[in-house]
Amino acid sequence: MGRPRTFDEAQAVAAAAELFAGRSFDGTSVDDLVTCTGVHRGSLYKTFGSKRGLYLSALRHHIDGDVTRVAGEISAAPPGEAGTRALAGGGSLGFLLLAATERAAVDDEVAAEVSRALTLLDEAFQKDEKATALALGLLIRSRADRTLIP
Amino acid sequence: MATIDITADDLVVNVEGLDKLWALKSSLTIPLTNVRGATPDPSIAHEWKGVRTAGTYVPGVIVAGSFRSEGERVFWDVKNPAKALVIELADERYARLVIEVDDPRATAELIESAKRN
Repeated sequence: MGRPRTFDEAQAVAAAAELFAGRSFDGTSVDDLVTCTGVHRGSLYKTFGSKRGLYLSALRHHIDGDVTRVAGEISAAPPGEAGTRALAGGGSLGFLLLAATERAAVDDEVAAEVSRALTLLDEAFQKDEKATALALGLLIRSRADRTLIP
Repeated sequence: MATIDITADDLVVNVEGLDKLWALKSSLTIPLTNVRGATPDPSIAHEWKGVRTAGTYVPGVIVAGSFRSEGERVFWDVKNPAKALVIELADERYARLVIEVDDPRATAELIESAKRN
């Protein structure tokens, strides 16, 4: 019975990821999503099932894109510079930090995605989990102290 | 107003009080496998609902019954838009339920978590 989709699903997911990264899950309304994606309410529900369904798609998009890219930059860094690379790319990891603090504790599917992202970063740091923890800790501090990161 | 019960396999939506008369059905039982998700959506009531096919519609006051919009059948039972919850379905008579519940956010989390267990 469904009509053909008249919107670019990947584009809508990317726009939603940007919104969730800035406003969090609870802070983003369906109205906000309709406005920013340009997709009709009915089509959003039909395609993603719920706001949470769209949130999970957006988080996966963020991990497959931003997080994977930063992990690649860390892996490719010369010896001793991996941490610096992580912080330089860290500005684009805001959605991951927010998902970890806001939703991972109450949503096991979000927790699984956050774990997947952390594993990507651990592997980029040659399985040095402390290096991942330090980089993420510094990224959180940088939100209060903006001088910490260039 | 509606209440939600979740059994081992089903989502049961009970429409309470006089809403029964307006919305024609007092209870809907949906297998959890046909529930795609639930979302609190206080603004949905301001949108065009489509053509009423059964039930009662007093613009701005009561929306209850079966509506058809863009080829989809949607069940509405909302008096207070602030408490609207949208439940998206698959392979059911209704594509979507828009109902009023006491705590839309908690109910949405309950349904979403039941769906993945």
